[in-house]
Amino acid sequence: MLKKSLALLLICLMILTLALSGCSKPATEQQGGGETTAEEDVIKVGWMGSLTGDQAVWGQCELNTVKMLFEEINAKGGVLGGKKLEVIGYDTKGDPQEAVNVAKRLTGQDKVVAIIGPNASGSAIPIAPVLEEAKVPDIATVATNPKVTVQDGKVKPFNFRVCFIDPYQGAVAAGYGYDVLGFRKAAILYDVADDYSQGLTEFFEQYFVAKGGTIVAKEAFKFGDVDFRPQLSKIKEANPDVLFLPIFFKEAALIANQARELGITVPLMGGDGLPSEQLFTMAKDAVQGTYIVNHVDYDDPDVQDLKNRYRNKYGKELELNGYLAHDAVVLLIDAIERAGVADPVKITEALETADVQGVTGRIKIGKDTHNPEGKEAAIVKIEGDKYVFQQKYSAQLD
Amino acid sequence: MTQFLQQLINGLSIGSVYALMAVGYSLVYSIMNFSNFAHGGVIMLGAYFGYYYLTGAGLPFPVAFIGAALTTCLLAVIIERGAYKPLRERKAPFLYFIISAMGTSIFLENMVIATIGPTFRTYPEVLSRTPIQIGSVSIGRLDLAMFIISAVCLALLVFFIDHTKMGKAIQATAYNIKASALMGINTDLVIIIVFALGGFFAGIAGVLFGMKYTVYPQIGIITNKSFIAAVFGGLGSLPGAVIGSILLGVIETITAGYFSSQYRDLIAFVLLVVVLIFRPRGLMGKVTEDKA
Repeated sequence: MLKKSLALLLICLMILTLALSGCSKPATEQQGGGETTAEEDVIKVGWMGSLTGDQAVWGQCELNTVKMLFEEINAKGGVLGGKKLEVIGYDTKGDPQEAVNVAKRLTGQDKVVAIIGPNASGSAIPIAPVLEEAKVPDIATVATNPKVTVQDGKVKPFNFRVCFIDPYQGAVAAGYGYDVLGFRKAAILYDVADDYSQGLTEFFEQYFVAKGGTIVAKEAFKFGDVDFRPQLSKIKEANPDVLFLPIFFKEAALIANQARELGITVPLMGGDGLPSEQLFTMAKDAVQGTYIVNHVDYDDPDVQDLKNRYRNKYGKELELNGYLAHDAVVLLIDAIERAGVADPVKITEALETADVQGVTGRIKIGKDTHNPEGKEAAIVKIEGDKYVFQQKYSAQLD
Repeated sequence: MTQFLQQLINGLSIGSVYALMAVGYSLVYSIMNFSNFAHGGVIMLGAYFGYYYLTGAGLPFPVAFIGAALTTCLLAVIIERGAYKPLRERKAPFLYFIISAMGTSIFLENMVIATIGPTFRTYPEVLSRTPIQIGSVSIGRLDLAMFIISAVCLALLVFFIDHTKMGKAIQATAYNIKASALMGINTDLVIIIVFALGGFFAGIAGVLFGMKYTVYPQIGIITNKSFIAAVFGGLGSLPGAVIGSILLGVIETITAGYFSSQYRDLIAFVLLVVVLIFRPRGLMGKVTEDKA
């Protein structure tokens, strides 16, 4: 009897600990500034992304940015002639399964008119069926994998995004590396368990080889790894001109430190997964001279205002994701205004013909791709603790 | 040849981290005959304690280091008193101990996520990152320090177990806990000492791990590997845990370096399973019957 109750107690304890942090707390916030607004005067917008895990820094920044912008818009009188915006944010934990659950909860339970996020391709790809069933549009922020909006040659009706895509990013990295920087031999170290990393690797390799370069080493690791010296020792033997890192900043920082320890001195190059303030905390000396294909030029006069507003409100620097979350909000507000009504299907129709100016460039949604067409990439180079803008660069995809 | 030497050094350095973590599992297993999965959580907290003693309290490194180890030492004893002693007194089956251990481990991880936060933290640079060059082989200063600290700690542990009265009591208790109690050994005290030792090592491993990589709530993923290394070497055997860990580190690096980094875990772990099929008690484990 005693044993039984003890076992029950233990089980309860385990369930409790799971429950405590297992279910994501809705980060809801009434944006009306305390006043009670009637149900029909509030437009609910969903947000999803990582609030826990390695990418929590980015997810938190996205949600903060959306909240800040909604507050500003509401203070100026809201949208559609006086309706207030409210964001309902949930944590995907960077887990595709959790992303599907979150999408179901947002569309089914919270009845949002549109969703912003997620930032990761791995989470943005699997939510498409949920969106199609509920007929609610989604604007992904930094999900760059082609499959986010187009699968098997067919555009997904409810998926949109404000960023450029991996083939483009890979082509830009390969083109800039080969033509402008003169690299001929490249080594790649990528995450074998990640869609974003695999896609970028594939396209970088394809365009770099097409230009006449050689991939002298292509090594992999798995999410969760912290030691990369076996792979790096092998890369060192291959003697490349550049080490391409199509991954996220945490691993990139560890890799940069370990590469320098092993005596690899060549420049590093990476995509939009690298830029983060954390990169400098972890590996400031090791990442000097790194070239990054980015969505935004941080020194552009057009983005200073947003940067300052964010810093004043949250006391932190705006991460890359914040800029794209901003543009997702701009795109969505434009679509809501043009739709004239807070209806998910009408908003989706308006999104298909959207053409707005965001802080990361002009966003003209292509009807067949749901991607922003012809968006230029910004090449930045790390010097000191700054991302120094080099040039805008666009690549020809064939 | 250069690459081989470099890979061997990489493997030894990774293996020595596994070893420090694996001893904790083996120590507890040898006495209590169950796998203390809460050990991973204690290691993780050790990394956080070290981080906050260094950056928050501004203590000099050696003080923060020892401080973190002593804190986890205390923590491990508290866990034993809270999560295992009540079970022991009721003579609960071993399965219950494992459930309790897993619960504690999940609890610790989630407690850190909920209170400190889910993002990772970085230790300040304690040792210079410039490596020592011997020919064309480079050895990181931190790796060397880790290897030496691990070796010294393990040597001290072996000395303690072989040459002190308490060490002998631990050995006797490991051999047969009931008979030892009948012979007048305070087995309750022995268990406390064993958990304290395990906790102390967890603190050291945690701080070293945090310095080398980063501090984050999911450090447990890596400690799972060290648990596997302990099983491979023979659970309950200290030399087995060390040898198993070093071997796992070297096998991993050699696989990644010479075969394929994509298949590293696959090849390394298939190899371990094969060894366990032919030698179920691990490389140096004692012959046991029913142990969970």
